[in-house]
Amino acid sequence: MNKFLSGITSLFSRIKRYLGKFGTALAKGDLFVRLSLIWMGAGYCRRKQYVKSIIITLLEAAVVLFSVTIGFQYIPKFGTLGTVRQESIFNPMTMKKEFNDYDNSFMILLYSLVSILIWLIFLIIYVRNIVRQYELQKMEERGEHINSFKEDRKLYLGEKFYVTLLSLPVLGIFLFIVIPLLAMVLIAFTNYDSRHMPPTELFTWVGLENFISLFSSGGLTITFGYAFVRVLAWTLIWAVFATFTNYIGGILLASLINHKRVVGKKFWRTMFVIAIAVPQFVSLLLLKYFFADGGIVNTICSDIGITEFLRNIGLINTSYIPFLTAPGWAHVMLILINIWVGVPYQMLIATGVLMNLPTDQIESARIDGATPRQIFRHITMPYVLFITGPALVTDFVRNINNFNVIYLLTSGVYVTADQALANSQAKEVDLLITWLFTLTRDYYNYKMAAVIGIVVFAISAVCTVIVFRRLTQGDREEAYQ
Amino acid sequence: MKKKVVSIVLCAAMCVGMLAGCGKGNEESGKSADSGEKQKVSLTMWGQENDQTMLQDMIDKFVKTYSDYADITVELGVQSDSGARDRILTDQEAAADVFSFPSDRLQDLVSAGALQSVDDMDEVLQQYAGKTVADVKEANVEGSVEAATYDDTLYAFPMTADNGYFLYYNKNVISEDQVKSWSSLLEAAQAAGQKVGMTLSSGWYNASFFYSAGFTTSQNEDGTTNIDWNGTADYSGVEVTQAMLDIASNPGFMALSEGDAANQMASGNLCAAVSGTWDSVAAQEAFGDGFAATKLPTFKIAGNDVQHKAVIGYKLIGVNAHSENAGWAALLADFITNEDQQKTRFEVRNVGPSNKVVLADPMIEEDITASAVVEQSEFAVPQNVGSNFWAPTQTFGEMVAKGELKADDTAGIQSALDTMVAGVEAPVE
Repeated sequence: MNKFLSGITSLFSRIKRYLGKFGTALAKGDLFVRLSLIWMGAGYCRRKQYVKSIIITLLEAAVVLFSVTIGFQYIPKFGTLGTVRQESIFNPMTMKKEFNDYDNSFMILLYSLVSILIWLIFLIIYVRNIVRQYELQKMEERGEHINSFKEDRKLYLGEKFYVTLLSLPVLGIFLFIVIPLLAMVLIAFTNYDSRHMPPTELFTWVGLENFISLFSSGGLTITFGYAFVRVLAWTLIWAVFATFTNYIGGILLASLINHKRVVGKKFWRTMFVIAIAVPQFVSLLLLKYFFADGGIVNTICSDIGITEFLRNIGLINTSYIPFLTAPGWAHVMLILINIWVGVPYQMLIATGVLMNLPTDQIESARIDGATPRQIFRHITMPYVLFITGPALVTDFVRNINNFNVIYLLTSGVYVTADQALANSQAKEVDLLITWLFTLTRDYYNYKMAAVIGIVVFAISAVCTVIVFRRLTQGDREEAYQ
Repeated sequence: MKKKVVSIVLCAAMCVGMLAGCGKGNEESGKSADSGEKQKVSLTMWGQENDQTMLQDMIDKFVKTYSDYADITVELGVQSDSGARDRILTDQEAAADVFSFPSDRLQDLVSAGALQSVDDMDEVLQQYAGKTVADVKEANVEGSVEAATYDDTLYAFPMTADNGYFLYYNKNVISEDQVKSWSSLLEAAQAAGQKVGMTLSSGWYNASFFYSAGFTTSQNEDGTTNIDWNGTADYSGVEVTQAMLDIASNPGFMALSEGDAANQMASGNLCAAVSGTWDSVAAQEAFGDGFAATKLPTFKIAGNDVQHKAVIGYKLIGVNAHSENAGWAALLADFITNEDQQKTRFEVRNVGPSNKVVLADPMIEEDITASAVVEQSEFAVPQNVGSNFWAPTQTFGEMVAKGELKADDTAGIQSALDTMVAGVEAPVE
């Protein structure tokens, strides 16, 4: 928490310092520095950096053009997200439909967001530009060398090549992650759903109403509280089991294959890698049919009498084993199947770590008379934990959101017999993420999808922080020495 | 949510594109029809993947028919009927001008403002196709027109009338008399050591028992569903459930999971199954020369024999409300649903027509599946429900199938019905 606060303070002090520089530049700068306030290329032009001057002038022109044609059209409507509903009339003479000049709430939201972001970035460039002009003026006064464009280009292809390299990924992240994410966060505060669907209808801001309706009395569905608690519980149980069974299974498998007496290490490793080379959804769909109520596993089990035996001891009362269709059975099967599809990945990671075990420690332990089990417990495991701890955390979060395994194995097969869950469109085997999917897919309930998305994000973030702090507490070096 | 992200990304990309292309105004406005010059019209249309060749032929005929009035080009795209609603609602302005969809999606599309009213097209149809909207309504069976109508406005052209279920059976095992009632049917199956399959854990199938007893469902404008199954219609909801339990607990009965009928028929477990035209080939292969189909049998509610009604759906052709050339799009939609094209559709794809003249054609009677559809259509109910209908009714069916409800425990049945009704009627947030 303190770190967080000090981070914010330092950010503010940096902004303050920068604005101070901006003020000095304006107060002490020459005519061209001040002229740069209007024509951003003025300063560069004066210092004979003509190419830079042209580039920044073009940028300025582009932003102005954007503001006039798009920004100023949408930003004024951002407060209401549009007021003019679509109306149309069919003209039988021209065989065409004629529309009025209507507002599209989604476009207003998106373009306003884009405009605000572009202006923010432009503001930073703008302030920097003035500060830079003043620096150049001082450099000129001191008679220092000012880079030509050629020299600058050389700099960005040589010493500062990382800036060139990183600019493309940063732009990509901005376009494909930041903008959609921010748009989604904004949608959580609107009433964008099946009854307010642009372009025909308008949607508008509703403040925190969606968050309130998610958690207040009843919530999203009539048995929302009942379902939410159960789904959340299974999500956490699943995440814990799925993560740790895979992790431990992977390490055990890797150490088994790594064992001195195992012949054909490469062969075994390849066998398990083949299991993950098959696309996951293919193996999951196949397993779904294998374990179906009328599937091959059930046929075999009833042929050799396992079904009969289970019925006799009272574990089942159906003529088949409900591997994926009854609560309990399905929960266990999901975790087991997840082991099957997930362990090879962990094995590969663990193999890499095990191959780099510090042999001196193991050697000395052996000389001191430690048994293999003791070596595994006190040297191997702590070392592996130390190296793969962060990966374990990401695995945990990934399992909270493990849509594939749950959805592919249970959709269309698992039918809940719990009416209270059914009234919330939930099933005993649903994770938050699969529940969110069914809740929103049929409704076009974008606002609630956004809200639940934010909630799932919050849960994942909290879990990550807690587990991460646990793992990185204390002197880790010591932990395995 | 993923779809949302994609569309946002697309929008973002579009916005970048607009930066580059702004100021380039769209000057091409439509020329009026009476200017003497032939209008250039381009349309887009979506159809199912395995209909593409047939649809292309129909489009060619359409273009030729109207070549005197306009230069029409139609671009044909692939879109499954079941997914049409999702894709249209994701971006209505980018959706095709003409598309097909199942009738139970009509209300969603209308309330999202995606469908062009056909009533508005009366003048166009009169001028170019030589018929009125009333003629279109007259030409198709009543149920299909009803399914294409919302708030007294016709929103789509009926195309097929076969999206329902009926009974497939093996006439080598079961006689024509035995398929008349569920009890004799189950008895015959038991005697043959086989079973009769039906899906219970689906509101589409298990609603049939309630509809048979006079119960109804309907959808409100806000997407909520009205349902009265816990009350009393011709019989009480408890009595209907007891009748269902009576069938489900019979050793000759097998509760199928949804979509599993073909599988179970192929594995030889079934001598009869309740399913629809989509399983026609599977049933023919499974039953061989014993392949037969007929309407659903009668069943006993509180001691009386009641005809088992089925839920029926229709495939409709709609015109996009945002279509620029809405008039021509409507003419195309009318053309591919007219009598000749429905006949072609039955000949090529064996799809049951909604046109009355085609239905009266002797070739329908000769076709085992198609004649079963016609036979059942007399006892068929179109289902109009909101999205909250499915999960509670599915679970109710599952409880019946698994025997979690007991026939003599009327209080338990009543409370299960009450819970289901509460879930179905819940407000749509």
